[in-house]
Amino acid sequence: MSLQTNEDVKEPNPRRYHALYWGIAFFIGMFSMPAIGRYFQWGSFWTTAAMIVPMLLLIPMVKAAEKSALRQNALSQAAKNYNRRSLIWSFCYVIFLFAAVSVDQYFKLAGPVKWLVAILPALPIFFFIWAVGRYLTEEQDEYVRMRQVRHALFATGLLLCVATFWGFLESFQLVPHIPAWAAVPVWAIGLALSQVTDKVRGT
Amino acid sequence: MKNRLKVLRAERDWSQADLAERLEISRQSVNAIETGKYDPSLPLAFRIADLFALKIEEIFLRA
Repeated sequence: MSLQTNEDVKEPNPRRYHALYWGIAFFIGMFSMPAIGRYFQWGSFWTTAAMIVPMLLLIPMVKAAEKSALRQNALSQAAKNYNRRSLIWSFCYVIFLFAAVSVDQYFKLAGPVKWLVAILPALPIFFFIWAVGRYLTEEQDEYVRMRQVRHALFATGLLLCVATFWGFLESFQLVPHIPAWAAVPVWAIGLALSQVTDKVRGT
Repeated sequence: MKNRLKVLRAERDWSQADLAERLEISRQSVNAIETGKYDPSLPLAFRIADLFALKIEEIFLRA
């Protein structure tokens, strides 16, 4: 009888952080592209169109994350579904945002049509919120589900802190106004931060 | 909560992956339970007990 099995020994895994590296590249791309657009004066049309480039980094990121999970026997069907849905909403978001900005810019919309176009980029975000809820329903592994709930709580806490912090600074006219749609990206960053922390800790 | 999962698994020469497959959970869940990072729900505790043909209190011990 041996208490130490090969799983108990932490094997060096050079591919462990691949998804993390792709994720960092994605965030750098997403945050730097608007700045690059402003620097080269591309305008909102081409800047939004250029966002598709960092978005493509999501594909290798998801693939690397799935491979890593598969090696740990932790890739459930629910996780696969969530990853596919995440890719769908992410790309739809950029495409819908691009379409809405372009249509509004070129056709100078007004009235009910403008309302419809303005709500277009919000639809994939609603899908994202549904996908998170759906994942928590579909995931059969209670420990994995508990961890995801913990990540979501961390993200919610971070969002509340950031919103309160920024809100008061804004009320005292110390910082510029941030649109309300920024709530979901901040929440998603909180989710990613919590997941990365777990990954780095190896829990 | 302490448990004897690692000992019971080793007695049967099962890997964490083997146990995870038998319980239909992920290997990281088995690892989290074994190391005391996570206490399983009552239904999962019963599944574990059934698998080892033991009572729950023979596997999970009061800290």
